[in-house]
Amino acid sequence: MLARSAQGVYWMARYLARAGYLSRLLELQVQFLVDRSVEEIHFGWKRIYRCMKRLPPPGEEFLPETDEFALADAFTLADDLTFERSNPDSVWSTVASGRENARQMRHCISGEMWTCLNAAWLRIRDLEAVDIWRTPEVFYARTRSEIHNFVGVADATMYRGAAWRFMRLGRAIERAQLAVSLLLAQIDLSRRTERRTLGWASMLRTHHALEAYGRVYGIDLQPDRVLDLLVADPSLPGSVLATVQAAATELQGLDGGPGVEADAAARRLAGRAEALILYDWPEASAPEELLEQVGQSTRDLHEAVLDAFVDYAIEDSPLR
Amino acid sequence: MDFSRYDFDPAIHDEMFVADGEPRDHCRAVYEALKGLPDGDLNTIQERVTRSFSQEGITFTVYGDEEAEERIIPIDCVPRLLALAEWRELEAGLVQRIRTLNLFLADVYGDCRVVRDGVIPADVILGCPQYRLAMRGVGVPNDVWVTICGTDIVRTHEGFMVLEDNLRVPSGVSYMIANRKAVKAGLRRLYRRSRVQDVEQYGSLLRQTLCELSPGGRPDPCLALLTPGTYNSAFYEHMFLAHEIGAELVEGQDLLVNDGFVYMRTTSGLRRVDVIYRRVDDDFLDPLVFRDDSLLGVPGLMNAFKRGNVALANAPGTGVADDKSVYAYVPDMVRYYLGEEPLLQNVETHLCRRPEDLEYTLDNLERLVVKRVGESGGYGMLVGPHSTPEERDEYARTLRADPADFISQPTLALSRSPCLIDGHAEPRHVDLRPFVLTGNETRIVPGAFCRVALRRGSLVVNSSQGGGGKDLWVVDL
Repeated sequence: MLARSAQGVYWMARYLARAGYLSRLLELQVQFLVDRSVEEIHFGWKRIYRCMKRLPPPGEEFLPETDEFALADAFTLADDLTFERSNPDSVWSTVASGRENARQMRHCISGEMWTCLNAAWLRIRDLEAVDIWRTPEVFYARTRSEIHNFVGVADATMYRGAAWRFMRLGRAIERAQLAVSLLLAQIDLSRRTERRTLGWASMLRTHHALEAYGRVYGIDLQPDRVLDLLVADPSLPGSVLATVQAAATELQGLDGGPGVEADAAARRLAGRAEALILYDWPEASAPEELLEQVGQSTRDLHEAVLDAFVDYAIEDSPLR
Repeated sequence: MDFSRYDFDPAIHDEMFVADGEPRDHCRAVYEALKGLPDGDLNTIQERVTRSFSQEGITFTVYGDEEAEERIIPIDCVPRLLALAEWRELEAGLVQRIRTLNLFLADVYGDCRVVRDGVIPADVILGCPQYRLAMRGVGVPNDVWVTICGTDIVRTHEGFMVLEDNLRVPSGVSYMIANRKAVKAGLRRLYRRSRVQDVEQYGSLLRQTLCELSPGGRPDPCLALLTPGTYNSAFYEHMFLAHEIGAELVEGQDLLVNDGFVYMRTTSGLRRVDVIYRRVDDDFLDPLVFRDDSLLGVPGLMNAFKRGNVALANAPGTGVADDKSVYAYVPDMVRYYLGEEPLLQNVETHLCRRPEDLEYTLDNLERLVVKRVGESGGYGMLVGPHSTPEERDEYARTLRADPADFISQPTLALSRSPCLIDGHAEPRHVDLRPFVLTGNETRIVPGAFCRVALRRGSLVVNSSQGGGGKDLWVVDL
């Protein structure tokens, strides 16, 4: 597969995974605006901004906890995270970037995938925050659903070649990084509050894991157990373990890159992230430190994948 | 469909009607069916067609238009009809013409007999900016210089005429296929009843044709389509064709030349490329030979090409044969190379490089269409009858300053075809661009990108100038 095309579908998948994840976070957050306490709403915004490694519009992490203006400011925050064109990680920007990568790589994906994604793009292209603000959760739910549809359509129609592998690899790495990032934000923020369980239920909902938690642990919500489920349960599709395992699987399915060392480095990093969770997590005394290591491994994995398959030195390559 | 306000003009060839309200034989069934459609049905179809273009992202980009980066080419859902017998006549003319032009190109980059025998003045060829000295003495696979040609054809009461031979990187074929797909879906039963000739095999014919250029006959050649990139106006088409022919869509940065062979950068290393369908102009192909500031091309590509290690379609230098000055000599070329009378006529052309033609042009500006030799896409031209005296004065000054850069042609009464305008039928001027493929043999799918000047009275069909598209049905009725 052409290296630049592989990079294109890889980034397409990363952007769309980001758009879907952020839409889910915002969908729950705007639901909070209806009936949750100011503390909980603040907590939710902070967690989202930490996860996205972004500062809110005033430029600092923001507003005292008691600020009654938080509700009024939700519009600005949602706008910043959803439609702000200068925010490369806003829902609008990530869908635009994912769609632009898809447009350039249309010959590598199925026509159905393109149509599905383009329709989603055409729907949100001209929207602004004011257009969705009567029922914002509907907008986020629909955006998330459209990205789920895209993934489903890809599953049903895309040829299982290298492009498929790179797309899945991009999605897995993005989801792993986002999940780690959100978990780290949650751990840190919850330590600063007196309510020990604050935010953990919504962590489960974010990852569509509420039912799974009930099935595994019953109805008693305990942060340690939530953390275990979201990090180390291989049966939960959004867990960190499941996503790094998915990345390792896709990497294994690819033909080797031209450079033996770079190729081995990428495969080793995928294995390392998986091993950290499988073997070190159960004994970990400082979960956030281990999660930091997993996060770093996934970032290194991203670099290693590009080094091995896209940006390799020409001298490393045999002529075929 | 309401034809009651259709403004039939006996002075202009009408593609559907032979007289007011009297359809041509091959159009009768379609006309009756369209007329019988309830009001609003065609509007719904038209909306659906437009929406499908939007949803599928079938777009083009207008140069210099940053706001509307991706635009949809307007499509009129009423097909233009051509009888199969008419098509056969046109097809024979196109085959004759492409044979001639390939012989001409081999000649002008070889012995130049056509000049020595006095058929064409040397300065017309050597003075043409598209004449590539780098191609002198270079052989091309199977003597095919022009693998893909998109000839612009117009029709008047006098029959079909060639308006332009597009021999460099002709575009529009994706719209031919997209228009067909969309209109066929909208007019399903009518399409089936009309025994329309199929165009959807174009991709497989193109692939077959390109494979025939494989250097040394290498089996299962690796094909690549070289695009200038995503900002090119025809990027959609590049992507579409790459998909259709199973080629990698590459940019210059994806290719490199090593020891006279071309390779592309894949995820598993460098892979040799055998045939490049290039959609990059000559100037930008190889910075070592042509423009040295080009970032779109591949250093060393021409070396690999000259050594016969990679085929380029079309070959560099073909632009000399579709130059607007050289165009005037094509009928003479047909007689010279083939010893036959041209089956397709040219539009009468005045070369302003000749003093008498310049004088004639200046005296008749209000009646002529004047074009710059080096421009295309409807840019830089004056349509005399639609111009103001001030515009003509301004144009005349430019013309006098560099007469060799201009040609003039009479303003043709381009044929008209019914279009759906504001819910009823109105005639609009049309042309057509069939695509001619030449490998071991010449292949033409029975169809074309039919362009239509959607503005009332306009003769300019270019999509960049307010033109749209139509489906052309070659019908066996």
